[in-house]
Amino acid sequence: MGLLTRDYETAPCTVEVSHKFDSLHAHVRFDNGAVVHPGDEVLVKGPPVMAPYGEVVIEKREARITRASAVERLWTRMTGNLQFMELCEFSFSEEATL
Amino acid sequence: MNVQAPTHTADATTVEEGLAIQEAQAVHDSETATAVAMQNTLLTPRFYTTDFDEMDAIDVSPVREDWDKLIAQMVADPNKGHFRKTEDWDHVDWDGMEPELRKEFIDFLISSCTAEFSGCVLYKEMKRRGNNKDITQLFQLMARDEARHAGFINDALREAGIAVNLGFLTKSKKYTYFKPKFIYYATYLSEKIGYARYITIFRHLEANPEMRFHPIFKWFREWCNDEFSHGEAFALLMKTDPKLTTGRNVLWIKFFLTAVYGTMYVRDHQRPAFHKALGVDPDWYGQEVFAKTSEISKQVFPITLDIDHPRWMPTLKRLQRANADLDAAKKRGGVSGALGKLGASARAAAAFLSLYTIPAIKNDVPAETRLEPMY
Repeated sequence: MGLLTRDYETAPCTVEVSHKFDSLHAHVRFDNGAVVHPGDEVLVKGPPVMAPYGEVVIEKREARITRASAVERLWTRMTGNLQFMELCEFSFSEEATL
Repeated sequence: MNVQAPTHTADATTVEEGLAIQEAQAVHDSETATAVAMQNTLLTPRFYTTDFDEMDAIDVSPVREDWDKLIAQMVADPNKGHFRKTEDWDHVDWDGMEPELRKEFIDFLISSCTAEFSGCVLYKEMKRRGNNKDITQLFQLMARDEARHAGFINDALREAGIAVNLGFLTKSKKYTYFKPKFIYYATYLSEKIGYARYITIFRHLEANPEMRFHPIFKWFREWCNDEFSHGEAFALLMKTDPKLTTGRNVLWIKFFLTAVYGTMYVRDHQRPAFHKALGVDPDWYGQEVFAKTSEISKQVFPITLDIDHPRWMPTLKRLQRANADLDAAKKRGGVSGALGKLGASARAAAAFLSLYTIPAIKNDVPAETRLEPMY
């Protein structure tokens, strides 16, 4: 990890998308144990994983992890907390008018 | 405070991208032509990391008895059979719904679905990254509930001709960071205020069934009991470390309470048609929800906000007006818009500061933490 430069790496991953009545979820798991740190970016390669309604799709894919620079990581750690309101649910979007 | 802080709603660019992808994918989709013609909404959850070592170090021994009972109850999953459509799910006349109400109600469904979905992503990530069995089990159970709620809301959206698009995984996602304690305060409050919001509407509609314009409200009680249990788990987590609710952290707790109550008040007032259709006055509703949330949060927070203070309601109204003006200025654009934004932001910040400085009411936190849903 550079002070100002970003590194890239690829990791095999398993994508699971469930579009069922009893569970709507979508997850990515890195199969090689790669770990994401603050400020990193993850992109699953290939076309969007689309599960038709009522189905679960599990696919092996490759993900590109863009490692944040040391400065970016520190910055994300310092400022990420300020976005805490994202963790709260208020039933409605923030749009003042629709 | 910037109550316009980013939330989970898809922004315009992303939705367009989502639509383009969906069109390109349409041929691969096994759905019928009708489904392809559905209006599309790309879910855009946020992605977080936290200090997983710190979370692994949590020791629930001081609250072990309560903890085991709560987990056993969640494992038993009493709500498992609840989230299915029964004959109680009346026909919804989407075409006959007044357009303003329809817009606001769909915003409600999409925002709620995104929130449940994001909760699921967050909890699942914590489950996966953690090594502490107590903690990972809890997060796995909560992720299950959130995914179930999201699926249930998704079904209501499909009836309205709206399909959610889960294609976000193949877009670049930046991971932001929250300290564990921020996650505890924010999610604890979010779960408990969620409970208070849902149960208040549920009880109101029990007394006034003619105002129930959609069957989903009938499911609010069991739904919010899940939220209540999740909140209980976070209360117990906070009880394991007294530092989290003493000293300087009390100022953080007050900040979170003020920010959450203030934002809720502003957001509810932005949806007048929704509240009018339910026959709910948003001022009354806000105070009801704040009172219930404060009463519940006494289980773990050493203070509650003084929502009956003479400055409270007038300042909330000022905050709401400042936000409405801020939005108008943003839409106006140009020099006048820029000046308007500056003025409105300053007024919103001043209102927030005024709310924050209302003296809090001290509370002796009971030794016994656990509560049952009582409203």
